[in-house]
Amino acid sequence: MSKVSNHDPRLAVEIAGIHFNNPVLGASGTFGYGLEFADLIDLNRLGGFATKGLSAKPLAGNAPPRIVETHGGMLNAIGLQNIGARAFIEEKLPRLRGYDTRIIANVFGYSDEDYIEALTILNDGEGIAAYELNISCPNVKEGGIVIGNSPDAAARLTEKAKRASSRPLIVKLSPNVTDITKVARAIVGAGADCLSLINTIVGMSVDVNTRRPRLSYGTGGLSGPAIRPIAVRMVYEVARTVDVPLIGIGGIASTSDALEFIIAGATAIQIGTANYYDPTITMKVIDGLSEYCENQSLENINSLIGSIKAE
Amino acid sequence: MIETIATAESNRELAPGYRMLTINLIEDVRVNPGQFAMLKPRGSLEPLLRRALAIYRVEGPQRLSFLYQVLGRGTTALAQLREKDEVEALLPLGNSWSIETSGGGGAIVVAGGIGSASLLMLCEELKRLRVDTKLLFGAATERAAAGCGLEDFRALDLPSIVTTDDGSLGDKELVTAPLERELREHGHKGSTIYACGPWPMMRRVAEIAAQFKTRCLVSLEAPMGCGFGVCVGCVVAVNTGGPLDYGSYKRVCTDGSIFPSEAIRWEVNAMTH
Repeated sequence: MSKVSNHDPRLAVEIAGIHFNNPVLGASGTFGYGLEFADLIDLNRLGGFATKGLSAKPLAGNAPPRIVETHGGMLNAIGLQNIGARAFIEEKLPRLRGYDTRIIANVFGYSDEDYIEALTILNDGEGIAAYELNISCPNVKEGGIVIGNSPDAAARLTEKAKRASSRPLIVKLSPNVTDITKVARAIVGAGADCLSLINTIVGMSVDVNTRRPRLSYGTGGLSGPAIRPIAVRMVYEVARTVDVPLIGIGGIASTSDALEFIIAGATAIQIGTANYYDPTITMKVIDGLSEYCENQSLENINSLIGSIKAE
Repeated sequence: MIETIATAESNRELAPGYRMLTINLIEDVRVNPGQFAMLKPRGSLEPLLRRALAIYRVEGPQRLSFLYQVLGRGTTALAQLREKDEVEALLPLGNSWSIETSGGGGAIVVAGGIGSASLLMLCEELKRLRVDTKLLFGAATERAAAGCGLEDFRALDLPSIVTTDDGSLGDKELVTAPLERELREHGHKGSTIYACGPWPMMRRVAEIAAQFKTRCLVSLEAPMGCGFGVCVGCVVAVNTGGPLDYGSYKRVCTDGSIFPSEAIRWEVNAMTH
């Protein structure tokens, strides 16, 4: 658990005043509460991670089956099972504080009040660097989908959350919209410090023998390499629309994948599904980014952000 | 738990659709009976996720074997592995069979189909501990029984009953039938049932265990995203006695894969095949 600092200074980035040793983060829902990875990777080398979505109260989640593999990806309908904001602070944070990595608490709720309640609890937690608001989880009927798909509702929640929060606020965008830039603009106008994108894309898979959906919930969120081009396109569009930093998410499974997002306009990236089938992927991408800087003679990865040559 | 690149030593077909994969590791590993591994051919892009396979046998401190049935995309990819091919592996995972000897009772091991893969090391351990053990071994056909490792179990020379669905070997009945007879006719006071097999089989085993008030442990299977607790995709519904709340679902990978049978809500099916 000792803090070591053999970080490549070329990879350091800053988002809303928070220093990240590198732009490689674990994505919410795929990184547990961080501690699950303590025996698999050196958490001190990780830029940071977003916790599993936290609600004001613990949640049971959906009945199984909750996941199904698809071509180049997977569908999940976990149902936001989590230990609750209070238990996170009491049981997980004290151990996480021993690591030199930025902890982003991912927060969700079923109403504006739920979000505020969770944020208020988390404000007591020492060692949290920022909040990431999940307004787009497509898995729970009363959940984020409504808020994340409406620019007005998303802006209203962002404004309230920003007031309630003692920390920088990242809002995680839903891709299940016709024009993601409209929601992005509304949320930034309401005070978000950063946007992360994209969340999973709503999908479905059917068992042709039983003629039932393969997930007990019916639909689920599609993640993995299959969604990456959609995510890169959305980061590119949003980067040209708003002037806050972006965190790119969506099917990143290699250094080159991460670079695509950074060049398209992301300051940092989150790795999700790839953590399942390669628990050390974050470390490989950090090393790969250093190598890229070396090969491209880059003094700083920040010069790469949004450097795409288009039009 | 180690994350490593292993090397395939062999990957032979025991019977049509059933194979034995043996891998070499570059470091020593300590495995307890009932534990599993997440495996995938190195660098393969399809399918994406690793597959959870029970560790069949420890062949040496750095050599493990896996008995598996080729059922879907993941096991089909594993079936392609040739000698010296590399395998991405995370292991050993999950809890293990807890052998109860204090009550003086024996053990009844119920293997259904490829569920046998989780039970060979348990049988070896029961024999080593000189626990009075009865093996009930069920498979679809004689060939399937061979594919499920019947020869390896027979080599342990435990009292056993074999059943097949079609009667091609042993009695033509489900493996739960001799279990019920054993408990009805011989009592097996203080014994423990250890079971692994298809969900309907284990559900019936759990009912029989409850009927005869016999301790029963089951090793469950579920589609897994990660195998080490983060995806929360492999859950099984458990009895909490209360309303649906945060303890209502347990992860098969890290809370199991072995559970007391009475803990499971069997009407909520966790398996997809």
